[in-house]
Amino acid sequence: MSETTIGSAVARVEGIDKLTGRARYAADVHPEGMTHAYGVYSTIARGRIVSIDTSVADEMPGVIEIFHHDNFPKLHRSPASFPEENMVDELRTPFEDDEVHYAGQFVALVVADTFEHARDAAYRVKVSYDAASAAANLAMGREAGETEANRTERGDADSAYAGADVKIDATYTTPVETHNPMEMHATTARWVDGRLIVHESTQGVIFARNTLAKNFDLDPSQIEVHADFIGSGFGGKLWLWPHSLATCAAARELGRPVQFMLPRQNMFTTSGHRAETSQHMQLGAKADGTLTSIIHDSINSTSSINTFVEDCGGATSSLYASDALRVSHSTAVVSRGTPTSMRAPGAGVGLFALESAMDELAIELDMDPLELRRKNFTDTDPNDGKPWSSNHILECYDRAAERFGWAERNKAIGSMRDGDWLIGQGVAACNWDAMRNPCDARVILRPDGSATVHCATQDIGTGTYTIIAQTAADTLGIDIERVHVVIGDSTFPHGQISGGSWATASILPAIVGACKTAADKLIEYAAKDGAPMAGAPTDDLIFEAGVVKNGQGDRAAPGDILTPLKLPHAIGDFHSDGSPDDGYAYGSFGVNFVEIGWNPNTAQLKVRRVVSAIDAGAIINDATARNQVEGAIVMGLGSALFEATEYDERTARPVNNNYAEYLVPVNADMPALDVILLNHPDYHLNELGARGIGEIGLTGVQAAVANAIYHATGKRIRDLPITLDKIMDDTA
Amino acid sequence: MKDSTQQPVDVSINLRINGQMTQLDVPPNVVLLDALRNRLDLTGTKKGCDHGQCGACTVLVNGEAVNSCLSLAVVHDGDDITTVEGLADGPDDNQTLSPIQQAFLDNDAFQCGYCTPGQMVSATELLTNHNVGTSDADIAEAMSGNICRCGAYKNIVAAVQSARSTHDNRG
Repeated sequence: MSETTIGSAVARVEGIDKLTGRARYAADVHPEGMTHAYGVYSTIARGRIVSIDTSVADEMPGVIEIFHHDNFPKLHRSPASFPEENMVDELRTPFEDDEVHYAGQFVALVVADTFEHARDAAYRVKVSYDAASAAANLAMGREAGETEANRTERGDADSAYAGADVKIDATYTTPVETHNPMEMHATTARWVDGRLIVHESTQGVIFARNTLAKNFDLDPSQIEVHADFIGSGFGGKLWLWPHSLATCAAARELGRPVQFMLPRQNMFTTSGHRAETSQHMQLGAKADGTLTSIIHDSINSTSSINTFVEDCGGATSSLYASDALRVSHSTAVVSRGTPTSMRAPGAGVGLFALESAMDELAIELDMDPLELRRKNFTDTDPNDGKPWSSNHILECYDRAAERFGWAERNKAIGSMRDGDWLIGQGVAACNWDAMRNPCDARVILRPDGSATVHCATQDIGTGTYTIIAQTAADTLGIDIERVHVVIGDSTFPHGQISGGSWATASILPAIVGACKTAADKLIEYAAKDGAPMAGAPTDDLIFEAGVVKNGQGDRAAPGDILTPLKLPHAIGDFHSDGSPDDGYAYGSFGVNFVEIGWNPNTAQLKVRRVVSAIDAGAIINDATARNQVEGAIVMGLGSALFEATEYDERTARPVNNNYAEYLVPVNADMPALDVILLNHPDYHLNELGARGIGEIGLTGVQAAVANAIYHATGKRIRDLPITLDKIMDDTA
Repeated sequence: MKDSTQQPVDVSINLRINGQMTQLDVPPNVVLLDALRNRLDLTGTKKGCDHGQCGACTVLVNGEAVNSCLSLAVVHDGDDITTVEGLADGPDDNQTLSPIQQAFLDNDAFQCGYCTPGQMVSATELLTNHNVGTSDADIAEAMSGNICRCGAYKNIVAAVQSARSTHDNRG
């Protein structure tokens, strides 16, 4: 029997493909006769298209067709239903009419024989507009009105706040952030005998297929969406954006394959972003630190195309005990494309507000901020009183604090130094939901002893290929080298999106079930006439270490059974259900400790080290899980210190729509990272005890950084990102 | 006025790509990245920004790391070019990974894999670049032209250090 692999740091099974350049991403597929498409994008942020002059572009070399609202085929809108798995955030289909809702909106699509020809011609398309006034930011959008989306209330939060011994009242803001996965959105589409075959950079082949089925009024079985490799997405590739529909439609109209890659500058305009938020926090506490009221009223920017609500207070309502609470979410319309989920939507920015406010409260109480969090721990979800299935946040606090050396921290502001550098240390809790969703999988056992796994899910870089291989290898008792994982194909059994940190918890139970079902099928075959254990009661046979065994110690390998029966394989299909309704609340928990250095002489800020402890259930692969958390911390540091899409107030156009001016962390920005994975299985959620780990590491990072900067400098920065000018501003 | 719709004349160039001589007729406005990807089907080299800002398209030109999206193909007539497809030795079905590739695998120095070809090409050049120091901070600084949005930086530094010690021990 093979060594068990679950829990160990197995190298990525798709690693060789990625390291040799053989891995094919959406734009690496070049079907015979392929053409190239390039977009023309609105230069105004609001108004109407008066005319589109393609006379020069039409005559450019290699141009095949130029599509725009006057000549584009009418597509159908998707209902944008999450339960129906056809969710989109940009409801409008491309070139639907002459309206412009945001700068960088698609207004034309040029298709030509080469990429260079398509791009050259796109630059020669002349569009004239009738521009209307545009709202460039949340403040301008709020002037036109605010709409409340929802609220959650426990008790009378306002009265409880009014009567509190100690109060914090502060507003925190977060800017537009752009996902910026390394791979730009890409679509390679072709139609074969009325069937649509798309290679798409997507976090959900099933959602993409179902959406296209609505757009083109086809049965989902007439569409294949492939995503063998995805250059990540971070939420930006959960649902389809206009370019995908436009590319598929162009391929249909022209009867030729079309490839489109969204230029980096338009990744900032027409494929979603993290909404801008303003969050008003009020915390009331007794003198001993017991929270008596939590009020988190937030508003976020949305578009004139669709309402997107950033769930800033989602984590706030259940992280701490408080009898009185109000969490409300509102939106205001801004002249931008529709926001979408970006890694840890809601909590990603919401915990910046809550965990900064908790630090401010601890200072007001003259209490250790970690102690304040311990004091308000809740062993049930305060929303419904259900006990947590598995919540070890107190152990996270203890272990990370010890590793970090929190006990040696001098709480006085500006009291810790290292030469010229002021040292600041801050802490903030992490929190993310734990969920599982229904998933199907198929396992195929072959005569050579190998197993193939099919599932219509995909690996965006999180390690899904590898943990599926580990799970199948361990369940079947065979070497991981004998497991072939084939995913990223919408024609396979229904799989899950790579999002919400629920892929692992959803997919792996289906893999286990499919392995066992395939093994049962092999046992059934083993007892057939002509097979090695003909006539044996199947109840007396077991499948172990890749072979069928009977009570007499006889063994029959898959080939011994299948070959004489002339069968190609034994197949197991399995459906696993969504989250159990068993009286438990599910969540993942953790804590980030951050140490920063601030050199007041040179105005240099450096994050020196981060220690995190994460309670995300059983860890299936120690290497890929750790890499996920470390990467999320890196993105959290970007959010804390660098990332903001800036819009010109006059034109509502993003002015830093590139990698040189939209700053993301680079290697030299890296602090020392020390991630502790608690690895306590949560068997209430599934038999593997696994939750999910993609998002939680980002939550609270910005607050931990802000709290550390306050500790070093006495400057409380409530507006992200924390750029140097904000620390140096003596007027605030 | 110059006729802007005039078709540019293709230029014939010879490139030595991953050890193989390749002749290509290419319009003068085609960048090396697009020539590799679209005209030679060498899609291992990735487009991440098309502006020389992310490093995903890094290839070696005569041993030097270059952003292939910023370099016109026609200026490389006669050049020796190494892409990610040329890092390993041997045929596809029996390849020996280069020390950098092996170290990236062993140290889990990637997630989605999209920036990885550029990271590995830059790291390959780094092994022979004596102007770069040997501390983790030196490596991190030298590798900062290659963005990894997945944030696998810690493991990338570990991989380069591991490959560097192998390389140095070989002399």
